Amino acid sequence: MDQLRLLFVDDEEELVSAVVERLELRGIDGVGATSGDEALHFLRESSFDVVVLDVKMPGIGGLEVLRTINRRHPEVKVILMTGHGSAKDNEIGRRLGAVAYLEKPVDLEDLLSTVDQALNPEGGGPDGR
Amino acid sequence: MGDDHRRPWQREGVLFFGDVIAGLSHELSNVFNIINEMAGLQQDILAGAQPKSADAADRLSELAGRIKAQVERGETLNQSLHSLAHSVDDANIAFDLGDTLELVSSLAARRARLARVELVVHRPESPVTLEGDPFVLLLTIYESIVAVVGAADSERRVEVSAAQHDSGAQVFITSADPLPPGVADEIAALEIGHLSWGAVHTLDPPFPEPPGRIILDVPAVAPALNAPADEEGQEDPDGN
Repeated sequence: MDQLRLLFVDDEEELVSAVVERLELRGIDGVGATSGDEALHFLRESSFDVVVLDVKMPGIGGLEVLRTINRRHPEVKVILMTGHGSAKDNEIGRRLGAVAYLEKPVDLEDLLSTVDQALNPEGGGPDGR
Repeated sequence: MGDDHRRPWQREGVLFFGDVIAGLSHELSNVFNIINEMAGLQQDILAGAQPKSADAADRLSELAGRIKAQVERGETLNQSLHSLAHSVDDANIAFDLGDTLELVSSLAARRARLARVELVVHRPESPVTLEGDPFVLLLTIYESIVAVVGAADSERRVEVSAAQHDSGAQVFITSADPLPPGVADEIAALEIGHLSWGAVHTLDPPFPEPPGRIILDVPAVAPALNAPADEEGQEDPDGN
Protein backbone atom coordinates (compact mmCIF):
# COMPACT_ATOMS: atom_id res chain seq x y z
CA MET A 1 0.00 0.00 0.00
CA ASP A 2 1.37 3.40 -0.94
CA GLN A 3 2.10 5.86 1.82
CA LEU A 4 -0.30 8.81 1.87
CA ARG A 5 1.42 12.01 0.68
CA LEU A 6 -0.08 15.19 2.07
CA LEU A 7 1.01 18.76 1.40
CA PHE A 8 0.06 21.13 4.24
CA VAL A 9 0.15 24.81 3.29
CA ASP A 10 -0.10 27.69 5.76
CA ASP A 11 1.92 30.88 6.19
CA GLU A 12 2.43 30.16 9.90
CA GLU A 13 5.72 28.28 9.88
CA GLU A 14 5.38 26.90 13.39
CA LEU A 15 1.91 25.55 12.64
CA VAL A 16 3.18 23.83 9.50
CA SER A 17 6.13 22.37 11.38
CA ALA A 18 3.97 20.94 14.18
CA VAL A 19 1.36 19.47 11.82
CA VAL A 20 3.99 17.84 9.61
CA GLU A 21 5.64 16.28 12.66
CA ARG A 22 2.29 14.92 13.82
CA LEU A 23 1.55 13.51 10.38
CA GLU A 24 4.92 11.78 10.33
CA LEU A 25 4.20 10.22 13.72
CA ARG A 26 1.10 8.72 12.09
CA GLY A 27 3.03 7.25 9.20
CA ILE A 28 1.87 9.86 6.71
CA ASP A 29 4.36 11.45 4.34
CA GLY A 30 3.64 15.07 5.24
CA VAL A 31 5.31 17.97 3.50
CA GLY A 32 4.92 21.57 4.63
CA ALA A 33 4.85 24.76 2.61
CA THR A 34 4.57 28.28 4.03
CA SER A 35 3.39 30.10 0.91
CA GLY A 36 1.38 29.53 -2.23
CA ASP A 37 4.56 29.86 -4.29
CA GLU A 38 6.28 27.16 -2.29
CA ALA A 39 3.25 24.89 -2.52
CA LEU A 40 3.15 25.18 -6.30
CA HIS A 41 6.88 24.51 -6.41
CA PHE A 42 6.46 21.28 -4.41
CA LEU A 43 3.55 20.25 -6.63
CA ARG A 44 5.73 20.69 -9.71
CA GLU A 45 8.57 18.69 -8.17
CA SER A 46 6.59 15.87 -6.60
CA SER A 47 3.20 14.24 -6.46
CA PHE A 48 0.68 14.40 -3.64
CA ASP A 49 -2.60 12.74 -2.84
CA VAL A 50 -4.01 15.65 -0.88
CA VAL A 51 -3.26 19.34 -0.40
CA VAL A 52 -4.53 21.07 2.73
CA LEU A 53 -4.54 24.75 1.94
CA ASP A 54 -4.98 27.91 3.99
CA VAL A 55 -7.14 30.42 2.12
CA LYS A 56 -5.55 33.63 3.35
CA MET A 57 -1.81 33.82 2.79
CA PRO A 58 0.62 36.54 1.71
CA GLY A 59 1.34 36.54 -2.00
CA ILE A 60 -0.55 33.84 -3.84
CA GLY A 61 -3.61 33.05 -1.75
CA GLY A 62 -5.20 29.65 -1.26
CA LEU A 63 -7.95 30.13 -3.84
CA GLU A 64 -5.41 31.07 -6.48
CA VAL A 65 -3.34 28.00 -5.62
CA LEU A 66 -6.51 25.92 -5.89
CA ARG A 67 -7.17 27.28 -9.39
CA THR A 68 -3.64 26.36 -10.44
CA ILE A 69 -3.94 22.88 -8.94
CA ASN A 70 -7.16 22.37 -10.88
CA ARG A 71 -5.40 23.26 -14.12
CA ARG A 72 -2.13 21.45 -13.61
CA HIS A 73 -2.87 18.68 -11.10
CA PRO A 74 -6.56 17.87 -11.38
CA GLU A 75 -6.04 14.49 -9.73
CA VAL A 76 -5.01 16.10 -6.42
CA LYS A 77 -7.70 16.48 -3.75
CA VAL A 78 -7.75 19.89 -2.09
CA ILE A 79 -9.06 20.71 1.37
CA LEU A 80 -9.33 24.41 2.21
CA MET A 81 -9.05 25.88 5.68
CA THR A 82 -9.53 29.35 7.05
CA GLY A 83 -9.11 31.19 10.31
CA HIS A 84 -12.55 32.72 10.38
CA GLY A 85 -15.64 31.38 8.70
CA SER A 86 -16.34 32.97 5.35
CA ALA A 87 -19.36 31.72 3.45
CA LYS A 88 -18.06 33.43 0.33
CA ASP A 89 -14.68 31.68 0.44
CA ASN A 90 -16.43 28.39 1.16
CA GLU A 91 -18.72 28.85 -1.83
CA ILE A 92 -15.89 29.88 -4.15
CA GLY A 93 -13.73 27.02 -2.93
CA ARG A 94 -16.46 24.46 -3.51
CA ARG A 95 -17.12 25.88 -6.96
CA LEU A 96 -13.42 25.61 -7.74
CA GLY A 97 -13.45 21.97 -6.77
CA ALA A 98 -12.23 21.84 -3.17
CA VAL A 99 -13.47 18.62 -1.60
CA ALA A 100 -13.89 20.13 1.86
CA TYR A 101 -13.64 23.35 3.78
CA LEU A 102 -12.45 23.36 7.39
CA GLU A 103 -12.38 26.16 9.94
CA LYS A 104 -9.37 26.63 12.16
CA PRO A 105 -8.47 25.43 14.67
CA VAL A 106 -8.50 22.19 12.73
CA ASP A 107 -8.34 19.11 14.90
CA LEU A 108 -5.83 16.74 13.34
CA GLU A 109 -8.08 13.71 13.72
CA ASP A 110 -10.91 15.61 12.02
CA LEU A 111 -8.54 16.62 9.26
CA LEU A 112 -7.43 13.02 8.72
CA SER A 113 -11.04 11.89 8.71
CA THR A 114 -11.78 14.49 6.04
CA VAL A 115 -8.76 13.33 4.05
CA ASP A 116 -10.00 9.76 4.34
CA GLN A 117 -13.44 10.76 3.03
CA ALA A 118 -11.88 12.76 0.20
CA LEU A 119 -9.79 9.83 -0.96
CA ASN A 120 -12.43 7.19 -0.33
CA PRO A 121 -15.81 8.82 -0.87
CA GLU A 122 -17.48 5.39 -0.97
CA GLY A 123 -15.81 4.35 2.27
CA GLY A 124 -12.35 2.91 2.59
CA GLY A 125 -9.53 1.94 4.87
CA PRO A 126 -8.81 3.65 8.17
CA ASP A 127 -5.47 4.99 6.99
CA GLY A 128 -6.96 7.34 4.48
CA ARG A 129 -6.09 5.18 1.48
CA MET B 1 -27.00 63.85 4.99
CA GLY B 2 -25.91 61.36 7.61
CA ASP B 3 -23.18 61.32 10.21
CA ASP B 4 -20.61 60.22 7.64
CA HIS B 5 -20.97 63.63 6.03
CA ARG B 6 -20.90 65.53 9.30
CA ARG B 7 -18.01 63.75 10.87
CA PRO B 8 -16.07 61.68 8.39
CA TRP B 9 -13.35 61.21 10.97
CA GLN B 10 -15.75 59.24 13.19
CA ARG B 11 -16.50 56.78 10.41
CA GLU B 12 -12.82 56.66 9.55
CA GLY B 13 -12.00 55.91 13.17
CA VAL B 14 -14.51 53.07 13.35
CA LEU B 15 -13.18 51.58 10.11
CA PHE B 16 -9.64 51.82 11.47
CA PHE B 17 -10.69 50.11 14.69
CA GLY B 18 -12.42 47.34 12.78
CA ASP B 19 -9.51 46.83 10.45
CA VAL B 20 -6.82 46.53 13.08
CA ILE B 21 -8.90 44.56 15.58
CA ALA B 22 -9.83 42.04 12.90
CA GLY B 23 -6.14 41.68 12.00
CA LEU B 24 -4.97 41.33 15.60
CA SER B 25 -7.78 38.88 16.34
CA HIS B 26 -6.68 36.78 13.36
CA GLU B 27 -3.08 36.83 14.56
CA LEU B 28 -4.16 35.79 18.06
CA SER B 29 -6.11 32.91 16.55
CA ASN B 30 -2.96 31.85 14.74
CA VAL B 31 -1.11 31.82 18.05
CA PHE B 32 -3.79 29.67 19.67
CA ASN B 33 -3.81 27.32 16.68
CA ILE B 34 -0.06 26.84 16.91
CA ILE B 35 -0.15 26.25 20.66
CA ASN B 36 -3.01 23.80 20.14
CA GLU B 37 -1.03 21.91 17.53
CA MET B 38 2.13 21.86 19.62
CA ALA B 39 0.19 20.55 22.60
CA GLY B 40 -1.17 17.85 20.32
CA LEU B 41 2.35 17.03 19.20
CA GLN B 42 3.46 16.73 22.82
CA GLN B 43 0.62 14.28 23.44
CA ASP B 44 1.61 12.33 20.35
CA ILE B 45 5.21 12.10 21.51
CA LEU B 46 4.16 11.02 25.01
CA ALA B 47 1.87 8.40 23.49
CA GLY B 48 4.62 7.17 21.21
CA ALA B 49 6.58 3.96 21.36
CA GLN B 50 9.39 5.34 23.46
CA PRO B 51 7.90 8.10 25.57
CA LYS B 52 10.57 7.91 28.24
CA SER B 53 13.48 8.03 25.89
CA ALA B 54 16.03 10.82 25.99
CA ASP B 55 14.99 11.72 22.47
CA ALA B 56 11.38 12.18 23.55
CA ALA B 57 12.46 14.29 26.51
CA ASP B 58 14.56 16.51 24.25
CA ARG B 59 11.71 16.95 21.82
CA LEU B 60 9.26 17.77 24.60
CA SER B 61 11.67 20.32 26.04
CA GLU B 62 12.18 21.91 22.63
CA LEU B 63 8.42 22.05 22.11
CA ALA B 64 7.95 23.74 25.47
CA GLY B 65 10.33 26.50 24.31
CA ARG B 66 8.38 26.92 21.07
CA ILE B 67 5.10 27.12 22.99
CA LYS B 68 6.59 29.76 25.28
CA ALA B 69 7.62 31.82 22.24
CA GLN B 70 4.06 31.68 20.93
CA VAL B 71 2.67 32.74 24.30
CA GLU B 72 5.02 35.75 24.23
CA ARG B 73 3.85 36.54 20.70
CA GLY B 74 0.25 36.37 21.90
CA GLU B 75 1.00 38.62 24.85
CA THR B 76 2.57 41.21 22.53
CA LEU B 77 -0.52 41.12 20.32
CA ASN B 78 -2.73 41.48 23.37
CA GLN B 79 -0.70 44.46 24.59
CA SER B 80 -1.24 46.12 21.22
CA LEU B 81 -4.98 45.55 21.52
CA HIS B 82 -4.92 46.96 25.04
CA SER B 83 -2.96 50.05 23.99
CA LEU B 84 -5.25 50.61 21.02
CA ALA B 85 -8.32 50.37 23.25
CA HIS B 86 -6.90 52.94 25.67
CA SER B 87 -5.80 55.31 22.89
CA VAL B 88 -9.37 56.68 22.86
CA ASP B 89 -9.53 57.34 26.60
CA ASP B 90 -8.53 60.99 26.41
CA ALA B 91 -8.74 63.22 23.35
CA ASN B 92 -6.38 65.78 24.84
CA ILE B 93 -3.39 64.26 26.54
CA ALA B 94 0.39 64.45 26.45
CA PHE B 95 1.99 61.31 25.02
CA ASP B 96 5.26 60.04 23.62
CA LEU B 97 5.52 59.92 19.84
CA GLY B 98 7.97 57.00 19.98
CA ASP B 99 5.38 54.90 21.82
CA THR B 100 2.81 55.83 19.18
CA LEU B 101 5.15 54.80 16.37
CA GLU B 102 5.80 51.43 17.98
CA LEU B 103 2.11 50.83 18.54
CA VAL B 104 1.09 51.83 15.03
CA SER B 105 3.79 49.62 13.57
CA SER B 106 2.56 46.65 15.54
CA LEU B 107 -0.99 47.39 14.36
CA ALA B 108 0.17 47.60 10.74
CA ALA B 109 2.42 44.53 10.96
CA ARG B 110 -0.17 42.11 9.63
CA ARG B 111 -1.05 44.35 6.68
CA ALA B 112 2.64 44.56 5.89
CA ARG B 113 3.17 40.83 6.27
CA LEU B 114 0.25 40.00 3.98
CA ALA B 115 1.70 42.44 1.45
CA ARG B 116 5.13 40.84 1.93
CA VAL B 117 6.60 44.12 3.01
CA GLU B 118 9.20 44.46 5.75
CA LEU B 119 8.02 47.20 8.10
CA VAL B 120 10.74 48.74 10.28
CA VAL B 121 10.17 51.36 12.96
CA HIS B 122 12.81 53.66 14.44
CA ARG B 123 12.03 55.56 17.63
CA PRO B 124 13.11 59.23 17.66
CA GLU B 125 16.66 59.70 18.95
CA SER B 126 15.31 61.80 21.81
CA PRO B 127 11.81 61.61 23.29
CA VAL B 128 9.20 63.71 21.51
CA THR B 129 6.14 64.66 23.53
CA LEU B 130 2.97 65.73 21.76
CA GLU B 131 -0.32 66.91 23.17
CA GLY B 132 -3.67 66.17 21.57
CA ASP B 133 -5.69 63.14 20.53
CA PRO B 134 -3.35 60.13 20.34
CA PHE B 135 -5.97 57.98 18.64
CA VAL B 136 -6.36 60.35 15.72
CA LEU B 137 -2.61 60.63 15.22
CA LEU B 138 -2.36 56.85 15.43
CA LEU B 139 -5.00 56.52 12.73
CA THR B 140 -3.32 59.15 10.55
CA ILE B 141 0.07 57.47 10.70
CA TYR B 142 -1.50 54.03 10.20
CA GLU B 143 -3.34 55.07 7.06
CA SER B 144 -0.19 56.69 5.71
CA ILE B 145 1.74 53.47 6.33
CA VAL B 146 -0.97 51.38 4.69
CA ALA B 147 -0.89 53.62 1.61
CA VAL B 148 2.88 53.32 1.30
CA VAL B 149 2.90 49.57 2.03
CA GLY B 150 0.26 49.09 -0.65
CA ALA B 151 2.48 50.87 -3.14
CA ALA B 152 5.61 48.82 -2.40
CA ASP B 153 7.13 47.22 -5.45
CA SER B 154 10.33 45.21 -5.82
CA GLU B 155 12.24 46.29 -2.68
CA ARG B 156 9.28 45.78 -0.33
CA ARG B 157 10.69 47.62 2.66
CA VAL B 158 9.04 50.52 4.49
CA GLU B 159 10.63 52.43 7.36
CA VAL B 160 8.86 54.63 9.86
CA SER B 161 10.80 57.19 11.86
CA ALA B 162 10.33 60.58 13.50
CA ALA B 163 12.24 63.56 14.77
CA GLN B 164 11.63 66.75 16.67
CA HIS B 165 11.01 69.61 14.26
CA ASP B 166 10.48 73.25 15.09
CA SER B 167 7.72 73.33 17.65
CA GLY B 168 6.44 69.86 16.80
CA ALA B 169 7.60 66.76 15.06
CA GLN B 170 8.00 65.20 11.67
CA VAL B 171 7.05 61.59 10.99
CA PHE B 172 8.76 59.98 7.99
CA ILE B 173 7.31 57.01 6.14
CA THR B 174 9.91 55.96 3.65
CA SER B 175 9.61 53.32 0.97
CA ALA B 176 12.62 51.67 -0.60
CA ASP B 177 10.54 51.68 -3.78
CA PRO B 178 9.49 54.74 -5.76
CA LEU B 179 6.06 55.90 -4.70
CA PRO B 180 3.58 55.86 -7.59
CA PRO B 181 1.36 58.90 -8.23
CA GLY B 182 -1.69 57.03 -6.89
CA VAL B 183 -0.29 57.32 -3.39
CA ALA B 184 -0.55 61.10 -3.60
CA ASP B 185 -4.31 60.80 -4.07
CA GLU B 186 -4.62 58.41 -1.16
CA ILE B 187 -2.62 60.68 1.09
CA ALA B 188 -4.60 63.73 -0.02
CA ALA B 189 -7.77 61.93 1.09
CA LEU B 190 -6.49 61.54 4.65
CA GLU B 191 -8.38 64.46 6.16
CA ILE B 192 -8.63 63.27 9.71
CA GLY B 193 -5.09 64.18 10.72
CA HIS B 194 -5.48 67.62 9.26
CA LEU B 195 -8.85 68.22 10.91
CA SER B 196 -7.75 67.14 14.35
CA TRP B 197 -4.06 67.84 14.43
CA GLY B 198 -3.46 70.40 11.76
CA ALA B 199 -1.10 67.74 10.47
CA VAL B 200 0.15 68.17 6.94
CA HIS B 201 1.34 65.45 4.59
CA THR B 202 4.00 66.26 2.06
CA LEU B 203 5.79 64.05 -0.41
CA ASP B 204 9.54 64.13 -0.56
CA PRO B 205 10.92 64.50 -3.12
CA PRO B 206 7.97 65.70 -5.22
CA PHE B 207 6.83 63.34 -7.93
CA PRO B 208 8.09 61.97 -10.20
CA GLU B 209 11.49 61.72 -8.57
CA PRO B 210 11.99 58.37 -6.86
CA PRO B 211 12.40 57.05 -4.26
CA GLY B 212 9.74 58.68 -2.20
CA ARG B 213 8.71 59.25 1.35
CA ILE B 214 5.82 60.84 3.11
CA ILE B 215 6.57 63.51 5.66
CA LEU B 216 3.88 64.17 8.20
CA ASP B 217 4.29 67.49 9.98
CA VAL B 218 2.65 67.44 13.38
CA PRO B 219 2.42 70.35 15.80
CA ALA B 220 3.48 69.78 19.40
CA VAL B 221 0.00 70.71 20.56
CA ALA B 222 -3.02 69.84 18.45
CA PRO B 223 -5.48 72.63 17.76
CA ALA B 224 -8.95 72.07 19.15
CA LEU B 225 -10.96 69.60 17.15
CA ASN B 226 -13.66 71.51 15.31
CA ALA B 227 -16.07 68.97 13.98
CA PRO B 228 -18.03 70.27 10.99
CA ALA B 229 -21.33 69.39 12.67
CA ASP B 230 -20.68 71.88 15.43
CA GLU B 231 -20.27 74.76 13.06
CA GLU B 232 -23.08 77.23 12.57
CA GLY B 233 -25.17 76.58 9.50
CA GLN B 234 -24.23 72.90 9.22
CA GLU B 235 -27.06 70.69 8.06
CA ASP B 236 -28.84 68.93 10.89
CA PRO B 237 -29.03 65.18 10.17
CA ASP B 238 -32.32 64.93 12.04
CA GLY B 239 -33.85 67.62 9.91
CA ASN B 240 -34.55 69.90 12.88
